[in-house]
Amino acid sequence: MKKKLLSVLLCSVLTASLLAGCGNSAAEAPADEPQTEAPAEEAGGADESEEPAAPAEASGDLAFAGELEIMHYSTSEESEGNGGSDGFRTVLAQWDEAHPDITLTQNVLANAEYKTQIATLAAANDLPDVFLLQGMNSIDWASQGLVYDLTADIESSPYAADYNQAYFAPFTVDGKIYGYPALTGGTCTVVIYDKAMWKEAGFDAFPSTWEDVEKAAEYFNGQGIIPVAFGNGGKWQANSDFLSTLGNRYTGPDWFMSLVAKGGAAFTDEEFVKALAETQRLFTETEIFNEDFNAVTNEDAREYYISGDAAAFIGGNWDESYIWAALQADNEEKFNNMGFAVLPQPADATQAPNSQNIGLGYAVAINAKVAEDPDKLAAAIDLAEYITGPAFASYVAENYALGGLTKVADVDLSGFDQITQDFYNWSYVDTETCEIYDSYITNAVWDVLNTDLQTLMNGDITPEEVAANAQAAYEANY
Amino acid sequence: MLNSIKPKKSTILLYLLVPVAMFVFTVFVPLVTAFVYSFFEWKGGPVKTFTGLTNYVTLFHDSTFWEAFGHNIYLVVACIIGQIGIAFILVMMINSKLVKLKGMHRTFGFFPSTISAVCIGLIWNMIYHNQYGVLNWFLKSIGRDDLCKVWLNEPKLVMMLVSIPLIWQFIGYYMIIMLSAISSIDTEVFESAEIDGANGVQRAIYITLPLIKNTMLVCITLCIAGNMKAFDNIFVMTKGGPGTASMVMAMYGYQVSFNQSNMGYGSCISVGIFVLSLIVIGGSQALIKYITREKEA
Repeated sequence: MKKKLLSVLLCSVLTASLLAGCGNSAAEAPADEPQTEAPAEEAGGADESEEPAAPAEASGDLAFAGELEIMHYSTSEESEGNGGSDGFRTVLAQWDEAHPDITLTQNVLANAEYKTQIATLAAANDLPDVFLLQGMNSIDWASQGLVYDLTADIESSPYAADYNQAYFAPFTVDGKIYGYPALTGGTCTVVIYDKAMWKEAGFDAFPSTWEDVEKAAEYFNGQGIIPVAFGNGGKWQANSDFLSTLGNRYTGPDWFMSLVAKGGAAFTDEEFVKALAETQRLFTETEIFNEDFNAVTNEDAREYYISGDAAAFIGGNWDESYIWAALQADNEEKFNNMGFAVLPQPADATQAPNSQNIGLGYAVAINAKVAEDPDKLAAAIDLAEYITGPAFASYVAENYALGGLTKVADVDLSGFDQITQDFYNWSYVDTETCEIYDSYITNAVWDVLNTDLQTLMNGDITPEEVAANAQAAYEANY
Repeated sequence: MLNSIKPKKSTILLYLLVPVAMFVFTVFVPLVTAFVYSFFEWKGGPVKTFTGLTNYVTLFHDSTFWEAFGHNIYLVVACIIGQIGIAFILVMMINSKLVKLKGMHRTFGFFPSTISAVCIGLIWNMIYHNQYGVLNWFLKSIGRDDLCKVWLNEPKLVMMLVSIPLIWQFIGYYMIIMLSAISSIDTEVFESAEIDGANGVQRAIYITLPLIKNTMLVCITLCIAGNMKAFDNIFVMTKGGPGTASMVMAMYGYQVSFNQSNMGYGSCISVGIFVLSLIVIGGSQALIKYITREKEA
């Protein structure tokens, strides 16, 4: 009797565990899948009252009827406060509404998950119809025939005259263009400083040379204040938010474009090694930066600035919008003292002292398979043109003082606070631009360089070794 | 009698079918596909080029991979001593007659194992933080400002510092396994030993340890297997940095596969991890068996 009871018990436990097992896998599967949003919900999310008048093209007649997939990373959470995401969602909803015959299916993931997912889909040759192509994947994916060549379509686009041609560079392979640069152009390297604190240190504006920053650092360190906060805990920050601009000061833009085009430039070239050496000197021999720069992320480092523990901060436009929002809410005086500057010029650098790296990291691209159905292709191109066109550019200019692929004439900035106006002018008007390194080439190279950069900034590896490792990765993977 | 409750073979097979199918699909299939891909150059697109053993030759000469392997071995040794050793001492203490509220000790001891690695990583990041961290605050408050450091940016210390949260987290896990093993030992053995005048340490070494030897073997195997695939805690705390100072094998495989989109070589690294883990586990078991046989002889 006892045994029977036991066997019944065991059986029921087994069944229960099996069911639980099935239940788990069933419950997990949808959680792993990207969040698919119903188009209706999407349209409802957009604020009609704020929309600029949609150009006639949005409601153009397309022969295609059916389903069109798009995958992107402008989640609803992301769009709160982020002009690019908000604008992207808004224009997508507008296009969707103007084309009732087309069911626009959106797959929306957060950026980090998006990158992994899109790489996996590319590996499986199963990309969605329309998606966002990251600059550094252009060459790999184009050479494998994954993305549709849009060169002719971009030339004949109704907005072609207004396109900022420089933004196409990361998506151009052998003269062919594979995407419409999307979202907003933002700097990756801006020095945000507290004007009042630097005035006390004897500087009316942020110094334009590192020598002056070193002098100021003596003053700030005496006060127990971090002169400049920086966070490289994620390893990519030193590349995107520092070296990409500092390198340009030594090598000039031609060197990098030659590296991209495999035109003979090498990481081991003297000028680039000098940039690495200067990076090492600034982080190991001077007292400019917070000592934990390699252990904290940019999110931590910008808090040093917000709390007043640091007099300046180096980061990207995403840090600027965070600091802007945080200070506007909590500290009006510090908010009004926000100033923007380019990276100071090293003493032995000869190029572009007023440059900062800005660009569009992603482009709307179309799966090469879509071309099999000309009507569907026309619809996909219409979508891509619309969401990167004037409707988007006007929306982000008017609501956020940001710029996109399409130039907008006479942006009226008077409705914005002074800091937003200053940042707009700093980003798009008053500075020279240079390229963002990791929008190009391939991450197989940048990942090696970024890992070494962290060691370099600790002083445990020489600039020459870093350059040689990066060059080896470049030759093996590009 | 035994036959009467033994189900038919077909019934057993039917019951087994679902878990076996799940196992094959989630473990065996990925393993075999990874093995196949490891012979290809596959840069994350539909194009795969067969390159034979090239990836394995690269792996053999890849100093970062072997450095990472060294870090895994460091973790294994640190965790066997730290997790199982400390767990054993705690178990002995909890089993002592002097300790009250045994249930509470068990619960709180086990608690850290239930927290997700991401939370643990963030908690310990705050402990090590050089500006707001508890560790530096403590050093300052006892007047040793000179010892304050940016802890996670010290290449020589970082492996030790990331092992500490791992050890702390899993002590309770092994404690529970050992407690259940000890509870199956007849209490009369301990009582007679006590009458014979054996003290606590002697009882632990000469009675408890030999009697739970097999459980200890299981613990050590689990500990090795767990640490050969360590990833999450370290990823949250340092991302393998500074540089590669706290890089472990699984993280390197992830980095190569997904950050560098080099799926072929990433698969090769996974196969490498699998083979090395088997060797280390097999080797350690052989070693333990050899040592214990000596003692019995």
